Amino acid sequence: MSDHSRDDDSLPLSGGRPVDDDVRGELEFHMQQRIADLMARGISREQAAAQARASFGDRAAVEAKCRDIETRRRSTKQRADRLGALWQDLRIGARVLAKSPGFAISAILTLALGIGANAAVFSLVNGVILQPLPYQYADRLVTVYERHDKGGFANVPVANFLDLEADAKSFDGLATYGNGTTTVIVNGKAARVHVGMVTSGFFNVFPVKPVLGRLPTPDEYRKGAAPVAVVSYSFWRDHLGAPSVLDTVHVTLARATPVVGVLPNGFEFPDGNEIWGPMRLELESMSRTSHNYDVIGRMRAGIAVADAQRDLDGIFARLKPLHQPDFDAAGAQITPLQEQLTGSLKTPLYLLLAASAVLLLGACVNLASAMLARGTARSAEFAVRTALGATRTRLVTQLVTESALLALLGCASGLALAAMLLKMLAYFAPAALHVERVHVDGWVQGFALVVAAITAVFFGLLPALRLADGESFLALREGSRGTASAARMRAWNILVGAEVALAVVLLSGSALLIRSFANVMETRMGFDPSNVYTVDIELPTANYSDTASVPAFHERLLERLRNSPGVQFAGLANVLPLGGNFPSGGMIVEGKPLDARGPFTGYAVYRAIGGDFFAAMGIPIVKGRALRGGDENPTAPGVVVNEEYAKQEWPDQDPIGKRVKPSGMDRAADHEPWYTVVGVAGNVRGQTVTGPFRETYYFDYRTRPSYRTQYSRYVVKSSLPFTAIAPLIRREIAAIDRAVPADIKTMNDRVTQSVADRRFTMLVLGAFAAVALLLAVVGIYAVVSYAVAQRTREIGVRLALGATAGQVRGLVLASAFKAVVPGLAAGAVLAIGAAQALRSLLYGVTPLDTAALAASIGLLGFAAVVSSLLPALRATRVDPLLAMRAE
Amino acid sequence: MHLFKGTFDVLILKTLSWGPAHGYAISRWIGQMSQDDLTIEEGALYPALRRLEAKGWLAAKWKTTETGREARVYSLTDDGRRALRRELAAWQKYVAAFTRVLEAKPQEALS
Repeated sequence: MSDHSRDDDSLPLSGGRPVDDDVRGELEFHMQQRIADLMARGISREQAAAQARASFGDRAAVEAKCRDIETRRRSTKQRADRLGALWQDLRIGARVLAKSPGFAISAILTLALGIGANAAVFSLVNGVILQPLPYQYADRLVTVYERHDKGGFANVPVANFLDLEADAKSFDGLATYGNGTTTVIVNGKAARVHVGMVTSGFFNVFPVKPVLGRLPTPDEYRKGAAPVAVVSYSFWRDHLGAPSVLDTVHVTLARATPVVGVLPNGFEFPDGNEIWGPMRLELESMSRTSHNYDVIGRMRAGIAVADAQRDLDGIFARLKPLHQPDFDAAGAQITPLQEQLTGSLKTPLYLLLAASAVLLLGACVNLASAMLARGTARSAEFAVRTALGATRTRLVTQLVTESALLALLGCASGLALAAMLLKMLAYFAPAALHVERVHVDGWVQGFALVVAAITAVFFGLLPALRLADGESFLALREGSRGTASAARMRAWNILVGAEVALAVVLLSGSALLIRSFANVMETRMGFDPSNVYTVDIELPTANYSDTASVPAFHERLLERLRNSPGVQFAGLANVLPLGGNFPSGGMIVEGKPLDARGPFTGYAVYRAIGGDFFAAMGIPIVKGRALRGGDENPTAPGVVVNEEYAKQEWPDQDPIGKRVKPSGMDRAADHEPWYTVVGVAGNVRGQTVTGPFRETYYFDYRTRPSYRTQYSRYVVKSSLPFTAIAPLIRREIAAIDRAVPADIKTMNDRVTQSVADRRFTMLVLGAFAAVALLLAVVGIYAVVSYAVAQRTREIGVRLALGATAGQVRGLVLASAFKAVVPGLAAGAVLAIGAAQALRSLLYGVTPLDTAALAASIGLLGFAAVVSSLLPALRATRVDPLLAMRAE
Repeated sequence: MHLFKGTFDVLILKTLSWGPAHGYAISRWIGQMSQDDLTIEEGALYPALRRLEAKGWLAAKWKTTETGREARVYSLTDDGRRALRRELAAWQKYVAAFTRVLEAKPQEALS
């Protein structure tokens, strides 16, 4: 305590003389003394004064100099004093904490959990939502889609895009691009790379400067120009061997293509792209209803999304009458690129941020109650300090410094924890989060510091104010079992109640998500993913360009797979369920009137399939038969529709034998043959597990030349384990063509991937809820232990008077539930409110799910009983005699 | 005789080594001891005192003198005492070296 009396001989800072007085007074004293001395030698006052002035020199200059030095000295000293006081407080704080390492460590850990969870989630929010995309003018980049009469959006057909590009006034650049994975041959080796075919505006939208070579020239975008390619920095380095001259460098796509430029490191739009080339417009469908590619644009500076929207809407309105009926767009849909990329992640991320804040609140409550408990032990110390003259401000400062020290240590360990959490998250976070790109950066550190500061005030200042209040004087009087401790008990009960309430909120929230997830997983997907393996195969265009070679390869591979031991069925399709966007288009059902919007009677999803696709996928044929040999006959093809299709188009009739044809898929409907419905397949989930069923028809991939696809997904049903089937499939492929790479997965992996968002949110929220539960248990344990300690004497008396152990246990449990029950009630109310925020993430449960709420309340009630059991047992072992003597 | 640069501080510190004193007393003491051979403008003392105080070598306090007037009284701090010892040693070394050179006679012509 002697630390607080500062040994200081220098002038006091406040209450001392102002600088002016100080300096002038000193000099005046000198003059008066000098004059007095001179007068003592018998010189007249006037003469003495004149002489004193003369021998002193320029008094005004001296005064100014002294004032200057003194002012500077004082401000320096003031700073040093403040630092000194802070340093002293920190030293004392550290010493106090070191004296109770158990408290210090548990407090720091609690804080680390709270701050770590917040920092980790904030890192994600910051990295994914707040930070701009790594492109120049990122805030002006937008995606453009077509809006349709019926609602819904579609890609902009190339023909429409060219009109938009020519007439739009609000863009610096507009480009359409098609991208996908392609097998290319580089230096004689086949590699699967992301390739983007782009229009001439692409490098206006992204004004990148090649680090080597050049961009394609305007001429190279014209119809019929010889193809060229530019490559990403990493492709140049890893696949091309980083040549410094590009003159002879080629990659083989459809044919040998010279590489003319290398883009700067890091540019890989749209997604890990490695090769870009001018789109071959002469190969593109110019139908204004073939919605094939994405459109990206960079708005001019100062243009708002609404302006650009109006601009493009005008163009669509003008085009519509010109191109009816081959036109189905009602307008444009413009979305900022960042929103397009991260929009679906916003809700779960903000939800998790809120949850981590709730968790932190729980941590604060625990700390605050721990501080209150310590207050009992320390109130004597503070009473003595107060008695020795320490001011209230001084004591509060000291306490807050201690809290701040804890908060700082907690913040540091929390940041370390956050970095670890992010590494762990990388294993199960959805790919769109790009966790590998998220780091604990300056923003996150700043955020954590702010959180720590708020925390320090919350759990430090409030108890400090209480403690430093008059209450501490009571502590000097022995016992202090009076009103003060009752008040403290009440405060503590409220804190623990709050903590319980927060835990209920998190638990019931995660219970809702868990139930939703279970519902999703149980949803009838319409196919059986067990024992199904998927194989993505892409035939290099260079070697498979004629119409015969692709089906020849597929039919041979299907045959070989079918005949392999352990393989039950093998089939293929252009797109698998849960495998991304389904191509869809207009359909004509024979005998129905054409739609007003175009030469079709409706829309449907189509799939080009081969082999035993239905059998391999476990999709039931509910009527008729599956496709079989002969159905690919281009003049009289067979088709299988799904139940939804049959229900929508022929509600009361037998669909078998009905005829349909696609409209404007690659050619006008007049040139299409009629497809005869030979069977009806069960409905299958489309893009997502939770999406609706859509009208779908399946035709043999050999029916249409353009669907003799180089890119196919095989499905193989086999009882063999992955480790046996994967090499078998590769062997069979290599037996036909060594240069064809394959990407093999289990169908279950695909299912899991499609629910990765959901699983991620559920797991993180679940983890938060578990931690909140743990915090509540610790909080309840602490408050009950304290209550038992306070009532040792009372318990002793009761035992002496013949109370049974059971009665004493009941007493303790009752005291526990005094804190817990109001908390559970408040938590239930809060949980119902909070569940509304979850609405968009729920599936098959309502926000008012009583089972989830009851389960979490039950779990917490149970936890409360368990955590008060130990103190209750301790209470029954109180020796009545000792207890009564103790006081 | 003018004072060498930097030596004034040493004189002040030395004066205060006898005990706390106000500016006027310091000025008088230096004047008497040097028998006014050292011409120092009295005013120059005060900025020097303030500088030494800012350095932490002196501490100052307002005190009432025997005559009943309030004076700013300076005393040497521990740091000041150490500084004085250092400065004295350096000064003596300097004077000794200076003297040696002045009193030496060449055995032969220097060049």
